[in-house]
Order: sequence, then structure tokens, then C-alpha cells
Amino acid sequence: MDAEQEKIELDKVVRGHVYDFVMREGLPPTIAETSSTLACSADDVGDSFQRLADAHILVLQQGSGEILMANPFSAVPTPFLVKAGGRSYYANCIWDAMGIPAMLKQDATIEASCGCCSTAMNLTVTNGSLEQAPGIAHFAIPAAHWWDDIVFN
Amino acid sequence: MLLFWSEEHVGKWCNDWNLRRGEVIPLERCNRLAQAWYSPDRREPEWRRRTVDEAEALFSELGLTSEFWHLPR
Repeated sequence: MDAEQEKIELDKVVRGHVYDFVMREGLPPTIAETSSTLACSADDVGDSFQRLADAHILVLQQGSGEILMANPFSAVPTPFLVKAGGRSYYANCIWDAMGIPAMLKQDATIEASCGCCSTAMNLTVTNGSLEQAPGIAHFAIPAAHWWDDIVFN
Repeated sequence: MLLFWSEEHVGKWCNDWNLRRGEVIPLERCNRLAQAWYSPDRREPEWRRRTVDEAEALFSELGLTSEFWHLPR
């Protein structure tokens, strides 16, 4: 196996670990945790995180290179709190909040609020379907520009 | 992508932040988009991101066909 193929294979393993960890623990793993679990160097993990970010699979924190987003999950608190299977998760946006029960394949409640007036808006997803609730989702940025500033988006 | 009570609240938010109004979709359709987008298991080695054509086909299935939903090629 050549060096490029080794990187491709490592990225698959790292991606699998990141999502396995965040689905179990509620937060993405750190570089140190991933390095320890996968028995590879922190530099190799950091490089893999960066390649996954370049491929728009992860979003990294500036400076540290730690994971900020492993979509649909957020590593930091957001206005989209998802509760499923006895665990809590933060989502990056309303689309991602609904994506968490889809990924977990579990029922969930979403504790969110109106982006304008901050009034609480709680949603429930059961068997993949959204229970009737008032509200709409607003996509501010055209799809062609979603990754121009994914944190704002 | 934010959640709002109503179109009126979207308009006020856009005005407050001096942003152009984007696209508004019903929550039920947003949930169907999320279910389709995030159901493939990202832990699996064979998982990959959708191609532009695949993503646009999914948007189209959900009636998201305007220029707003076109992805860069």
C-alpha cells in the first residue's frame, strides 16, 4: 500500500471513530483521545482531521485543529439541543437537529427557539416523522455558498 | 439554517441583521431532507459524501428545485 492509499484508509478509520464516539458520548473526540484509541500519532490524527475538513466532512476549530463540527453534531453548545436515547447532543442548525435522530435512528426531542424572538420551540421526531408543530426553517445562504462560511451557515 | 415561528419572524430577522431573505421550507419537509441526508451511516468505511448530482437529485425529490438549491460544479 502506498502512502496516499494509507492516508485514505486512515481517514476512513478516523471518520468511523469520530462518528462512533460522538454518537455514544454526545461530543466529538479530541485529537488526543483519537490518537490513544487508534494507536497512532497525534500528528497523524491532526493531519487526518484536516483532510476530512478539506473534504467538508468535519469542521475544525481554528488554531487547535480540534473538531468543531462533525455534522450534524456540534462540539460546542448551540441553540439546538437534541435529546435521544437518554443522551443530549448539540446540533449545528435546524437541519442538523433533525439529522441527529436520523443518524441515531432513534426518537428524539429537539429543544430549540425562534431565531428572531428566542421563544422556545420544541419539536419531536418519532419513527423518523416530525410531530405536528408550528414553525418554518429558513435557509439564509444559497446552497452554492454553504461552505463559504459554514459556521455562520 | 434557523428555526422561526413564521414568515413574519423571518422577515424581521433578515431586516434586523441586514440580510437578504433566503428560502423558507416547512418543518415537515426539512425533516424529510434531514432523514434522507443523514440516514447513511457515516461510521461505515464505504460511506462517502454525495456527489453534486446526487445531492441535487435529493433536493429535487423534495421539491427544492430553484436556483437557490444549485450546488457549485
